[in-house]
Amino acid sequence: MATTTQSAATLPEAEGEVCIPINASEQIEFCYARGWTDGLPVVPASRFLVGEMLEAGSLKPDAVIADMPSRKVAVTAEKVAINAVMAGCKAEYMPVVVAAVKALAAPEFGLHHVASALSGPTIVILVNGPIAQKLRINATNNVFGPGVRANATIGRALRLVLLNCLKYSPGVSDRATMGTPGKYTCCIAENEEDHPWQPWHVERGFKPEDSTVTLVAASTMIQIWHYGDHVQLLRSIGDAMSFLGSIAILGRTPGAVVLGGEHTQLLRASGLSKKQICERIVQHTGRTIAELKRAGRIDGAVTPEDETRIHYALDTPEEVMLICAGSPIGALSMVMPGFGSSKTAGRSPAILIE
Amino acid sequence: MLDAVILEKAGIPAIPIITDAFDATAGEMAQLWGVPDFRFVMIPHPLATLTSADIDRRAEELIGKVLGLLQQGQPD
Repeated sequence: MATTTQSAATLPEAEGEVCIPINASEQIEFCYARGWTDGLPVVPASRFLVGEMLEAGSLKPDAVIADMPSRKVAVTAEKVAINAVMAGCKAEYMPVVVAAVKALAAPEFGLHHVASALSGPTIVILVNGPIAQKLRINATNNVFGPGVRANATIGRALRLVLLNCLKYSPGVSDRATMGTPGKYTCCIAENEEDHPWQPWHVERGFKPEDSTVTLVAASTMIQIWHYGDHVQLLRSIGDAMSFLGSIAILGRTPGAVVLGGEHTQLLRASGLSKKQICERIVQHTGRTIAELKRAGRIDGAVTPEDETRIHYALDTPEEVMLICAGSPIGALSMVMPGFGSSKTAGRSPAILIE
Repeated sequence: MLDAVILEKAGIPAIPIITDAFDATAGEMAQLWGVPDFRFVMIPHPLATLTSADIDRRAEELIGKVLGLLQQGQPD
């Protein structure tokens, strides 16, 4: 049995023998000891692998990918590459990871609010355009679940950048009370095949042949199981977007809805436009002031007028990010209410993948 | 803490009020911005569950301390 001192990630494939990288475990422990991980083992970032990552992104090591004034950090390409390697990314994923880091720095995203919040949201990376198919980023079965390297490692790379470059350490600068499993990794592609409307990036002004990354901060993920008609479905989606315990309900923080295949087809058959669907979802986020007072979300005694006065969890249809992904089988969708108590953070612009 | 540091950098005097649960978080931010001795007022956690009357009482108790620190100013 052969042995080697190379890291596991740089071992040549050898037929007929098993190579045991005797120091790989030590390298992994070295990374743990320095607090460079998310709790899972990382791939030791050799110079060779980091170089491959930079080459795939056509980037010089000291190129500034994103300036993060709130953290007093300019994140360089080399740092992004190191974290992408550690996350297990293939080199070809680098342009997507780079775009995601740029999206973190977009003022509209409100990085510090998102990354430090008690509500500890999942940062969902949405990939649009042809790069999703090229890199095999999953947009269909088990879209939020495990099993696909691109989804798992691109999402993880962004979290490692937050931990290692931006120093959002749990319990210190990341003050999430509960956190979410999605904070380990969360990356999906939109299912643009046979899309009933315009995919997200085209809606935002990009060409279909462009590829983009958009970030959205989700306080939680609620599955909608629904075999009714489209009117009933939109009522259920609005209800999930405005549950009484939602942190976003009073601040009207934008949220997202990911329509699964059967719901996509149901809404396509309804003849409603995307905007009309979003308008109806907003209408169904209404709660009476009486409900909100009884739940303690608004102070004060319930008055007779409160029984008919309505507060909407969202203001406008533009606050609903409506996208299509998930298996074609099953009448299920995912609702992702916003993460915070203000309207000013939680969704990045779509960032072009270069 | 971040808002107060940014206000001070912009020339607007600021004293942040931090609940004690966020002591380490505030300290980390002050370190990050190169102002480890940034002055702030610490109050007991939690704040969000207090009634409006409780918050008024807290404010009354704190106002003298905050004004005193504002007059002292932040360290250079």
